[in-house]
Amino acid sequence: MGVVGVTSTDSAEPARSGQLESSPEGTVVDQNETPEQRTARFERDAMPLLDQLYAAALRMTRNPADAEDLVQETYLRAYGAFESFRAGTNLRAWLYRILTNTYINGYRKRQRQPVAQPSEEITDWQLAQAAQHTSSGLRSAEMDALDRLPDSDVKDALSQLAEDFRMAVYLADVEGFAYKEIAEIMGTPIGTVMSRLHRGRKQLRDMLTGVARERGFLRDAEVAS
Amino acid sequence: MSCGKPHETDCHQVLAELWLFLDHECNRERRELLQRHLDECGPCLEEYGLEEHLKALLARKCGGDHAPDALKQRLRDSIRQIMMRQAVLGAEVTVQRAEDGTIVEVSTTTVESHAWLSTER
Repeated sequence: MGVVGVTSTDSAEPARSGQLESSPEGTVVDQNETPEQRTARFERDAMPLLDQLYAAALRMTRNPADAEDLVQETYLRAYGAFESFRAGTNLRAWLYRILTNTYINGYRKRQRQPVAQPSEEITDWQLAQAAQHTSSGLRSAEMDALDRLPDSDVKDALSQLAEDFRMAVYLADVEGFAYKEIAEIMGTPIGTVMSRLHRGRKQLRDMLTGVARERGFLRDAEVAS
Repeated sequence: MSCGKPHETDCHQVLAELWLFLDHECNRERRELLQRHLDECGPCLEEYGLEEHLKALLARKCGGDHAPDALKQRLRDSIRQIMMRQAVLGAEVTVQRAEDGTIVEVSTTTVESHAWLSTER
């Protein structure tokens, strides 16, 4: 986490639909860069992010073998397009963008699991529904219960979220990307990112509270709802 | 639901923006306003605390997977192969005509290995 300076970029490479266009703006990259120099640059800058990309791929595909294939494809595409990557822009966001597009365009189609397509719209009514606090003073019990959950329970709960919600939550909470960056990575407006985050987090919290109750970490009376 | 006390900003509004606050996505003015509310409203602060806690919990428990070494090796090999192909394609070819025939000279670029691997965990 927190690897490179996360300077937001206005032009994360548009890798959607499998095309990586070179940036129209002046590329900082030396035109005379040899394949060896480019490879060295790729190895120096992109390869250290492999673990992070793999973790994200694992959350996307929910399966180690598929995650490996996805990361491999992503990195080879990134390497192929690296010539057009502008130095100084956000490499981490660029790689995540390629990962996401590779997944959506190729990978997801091959997976057996049907993809849930939740409605993106969030209404004021839904916001108002969420915007209620209980003054029950039971929050600390809920917090303690969540802390006691094993890692696998938390990962499982995340993996049960619909794909778009899962990625939004992962990118925001685990990877710490800003909304604007998530919007670029997922190729959606910021409003959509906020709605996915909102619903994803709410579902996740409900799910985790439910698991904590099943595990006996939280008594029914302590669940503020 | 409100905590019943009068606030500059309504609890409803604060809770609706809690995640923006948590994610550092609101401007300074808004941030200060929300902060003031959280400082004086126990129930909202508690709610904020739980969301903050949940965010930290996810970061702690859902990241940190390491890619298998075999994958790293495979990738390095593939990249090297692609690079060598490019290097050969871009190699200089000079043709000289000598008295006893044609001499074709191909000068390929030297490929050195890089040490980034050794710094990997």
